[in-house]
Amino acid sequence: MDAELIERAQRGDREAFGQLVSRHYDFVHATAWRWSGSSTDADDIAQEVCVKLGGAIRSFRGASSFRTWLYTLTLNAARDHRRKLAREERTFRAYAAEPQQDGPLGNDDEVSSELWAAVRALPERQCDAVLLVYGEGLSHAAAADVMGCSETTVSWQVHEARKRLKAMLGQEEV
Amino acid sequence: MTVDKELEKLSRTTPPAADPEARARALAAAMQAFDDAGNNAAVPQGNAKGWRQSSIINWIWSPAMNKKFLAGSALATLLVIPAAGYLAIELTRSGLPIVDQEKITDNISQNIAPKPAEPVTASPQLSEAATEEDGPAQSAAATDGQTSQDKEQQAAKPDALKSKLEDSAATAGLAKRAAPAAPGIAVEGQLLTEPMAAIVPSPAPPAEGRVQIQLDPGRERFANAAANPIKSVATDPVSTFSADVDSASYSFVRRSLTGGAMPDPQSVRVEEMINYFPYDWPRPENANQPFKATVTVMPTPWNHDTELMHVAIKGYDIAPATAPHANLVFLIDVSGSMDEPDKLPLLKSAFRLLVNKLKADDTVSIVTYAGNAGTVLEPTRVAEKSKILSAIDRLEAGGSTGGAEGIEAAYDLAKQAFVKDGVNRVMLATDGDFNVGPSSDEDLKRIIEEKRKDGIFLTVLGFGRGNLNDSLMQTLAQNGNGSAAYIDTLAEAQKALVEEAGSTLFPIAKDVKFQVEFNPERIAEYRLIGYETRALNREDFNNDRVDAGDIGSGHSVTAIYEITPRGSPAVMNDDLRYGPAEKAPAETSDSAHRGELAFVKMRYKRPGEDKSALITTPVGDSNAVASVDAAPQDVRFSVAVAAFGQKLSRVAAVDSYSYQAIADLAAASRGTDTFGYRSDFLGLIRLADGLSQR
Repeated sequence: MDAELIERAQRGDREAFGQLVSRHYDFVHATAWRWSGSSTDADDIAQEVCVKLGGAIRSFRGASSFRTWLYTLTLNAARDHRRKLAREERTFRAYAAEPQQDGPLGNDDEVSSELWAAVRALPERQCDAVLLVYGEGLSHAAAADVMGCSETTVSWQVHEARKRLKAMLGQEEV
Repeated sequence: MTVDKELEKLSRTTPPAADPEARARALAAAMQAFDDAGNNAAVPQGNAKGWRQSSIINWIWSPAMNKKFLAGSALATLLVIPAAGYLAIELTRSGLPIVDQEKITDNISQNIAPKPAEPVTASPQLSEAATEEDGPAQSAAATDGQTSQDKEQQAAKPDALKSKLEDSAATAGLAKRAAPAAPGIAVEGQLLTEPMAAIVPSPAPPAEGRVQIQLDPGRERFANAAANPIKSVATDPVSTFSADVDSASYSFVRRSLTGGAMPDPQSVRVEEMINYFPYDWPRPENANQPFKATVTVMPTPWNHDTELMHVAIKGYDIAPATAPHANLVFLIDVSGSMDEPDKLPLLKSAFRLLVNKLKADDTVSIVTYAGNAGTVLEPTRVAEKSKILSAIDRLEAGGSTGGAEGIEAAYDLAKQAFVKDGVNRVMLATDGDFNVGPSSDEDLKRIIEEKRKDGIFLTVLGFGRGNLNDSLMQTLAQNGNGSAAYIDTLAEAQKALVEEAGSTLFPIAKDVKFQVEFNPERIAEYRLIGYETRALNREDFNNDRVDAGDIGSGHSVTAIYEITPRGSPAVMNDDLRYGPAEKAPAETSDSAHRGELAFVKMRYKRPGEDKSALITTPVGDSNAVASVDAAPQDVRFSVAVAAFGQKLSRVAAVDSYSYQAIADLAAASRGTDTFGYRSDFLGLIRLADGLSQR
């Protein structure tokens, strides 16, 4: 289905492109939300990705799956967006300024805002790796495809991230 | 609780549903981009591939690691050694200065953009890469033909190419690779070009400091056309263009240079650079005649064999006491992207400056647009200044950009507070994609054209960098009887909004057009410097329905032609064998205009009038000066600016004229320079000189 739409869009079929984008918009938006943590930002990022898609669909070669490519575009857009807002620094500061909470917030299914903040304050690559592996539930190999690096690198990034998160969340080594 | 358990929970969070409005906007924007990409396939906009811009090491490593073709340890040794050599070369390569990378980008964009059907010819840099790539591949292939085939298959992911390569690799093996002009070569070129194209435009994701100075050509869009060509007077004796008082291009160039990068040649509009500077051209005596044109013919500093015809127009300056009442609507972009020090905060300061400059009877209203457009301040008299200022202070950034509704709301407010015989103006301040809404650029243009009929003018102020949509700004300003300026510093805001408030705010003429007719007996060829985006058809000059630029109180407009006298060695076009050589002299010899070089005509409409008036000035030998130094100071300075602008936009005519020569010319004609603009300009020349030598 996607393959056919992509092919038609690449030949300049507007309608096919429109369908393709609306099929995947929610996916992009959800990913953008995970990376940015705000639905307004996610709106902006998703829009940016849509615009990029419009410009780049003709040169998509199917070297990776479309999903993987969308991840890549979205992650890059999210990163640009974050740089733009200098969010990293602010989040970190906000996090540092907040008093440490004991125990989890809210019920068990809710992720504490603390963890979110900590994950997003990770170095970019580690943050990407953690969100892809834990947030999106990808295998290390699939995450490696998205991030354009090797599987072992992903594993290493995740490992480093966990070490760092432990330190940041003030937990003892388990 | 462990980190792992916490992390597990990340996957269980459900993202919030997308806002349907944002969704609709995004889809519309996507369609727009899709159409743009289809229409402008020839115009490369940065990394059109949308691929991840990762370092070349990843590009080399990731297929290798993923496909695990290093599995066999003996094989691995064979491959790794040459690959390590290649990596070393690539590592040093990615350390090259940006200038070189730009060159590569140019080459590549020429290659990938226009014709996908033809085999891509690899540019010099790429063919180097190709030969380096051949090294390891060949040695590997020599030891194990099977490996080579594997490798090629992996490289040849595009399915159409795959079978071809399998065949060629299997049957001919090495021979195919080496054979010149074999299809395999063309294919290889193509394969190489694409990953390279994806990598090269962004030179190595750098340290934060460098991000600042990098241009992102994909996001900033400029309106420009190729430089005006040299035209032969015999075939095109008439040159027609619209007046222009915009200055956005100069500020952008300055920002780029002070940021340490040569400006994108596309961003340079020479006429806007020239018109940025205040000049003391002779003024008209009274308001009945709104302009005065002064023409100077002088030798060209960068070419011994040509001359410059310098046309300077000065508009009548309305005395502040008689200035009409103003009704201003600030239409302010407060989308999330405006939340940067050089955007919203600068904008606030700029508008505060402007409000302080207004008179008590003037009115100001404020409309913001982001996710939804809103009126922040109903029309308020400047007498209640504190109310206005606090409204400006309260502005905050947030949300996505939806311009169309905002502009409707702003025009409605402007109409509500309309001042008859006064100045009614919407001042749009934005950082870029103004129109991310349901309507296309065309629709927006139409709305603005409609509103223009109500007598409401538009000023577009661009802020910030990284997402600036210059071409849309130009379109809006040109269609809305308005002007565009780019504000990069508070000093620029001071210049555009306070010192030049009169000219920005009070139009004295609209639809100002120029037409210059050259006398073929004296002039063989001419070239208009700048004004590429403002060319008009010859017949548009007398057509009052054709829109053109506006001139405000005290504005000056300068146009420079490089002209080649008849018989000069610089003439590029041969005489026409079947041209009207016999007829032309017969016609003109009867008339009294024989000695004239050219004839300058200007048409303009007074604000609120629909019929245009005409001003004409003949240009003869009395306008000529013998040497560059004999030309008036301001003329020389504007010529220096013209030379600089052309150099930045890479016009071939000034190739041999050095930055140093431009600096000398500008330094000698700096004059009193009350506000220091000209000294700034000298600084920019030095920066460009330094950067261009890198």
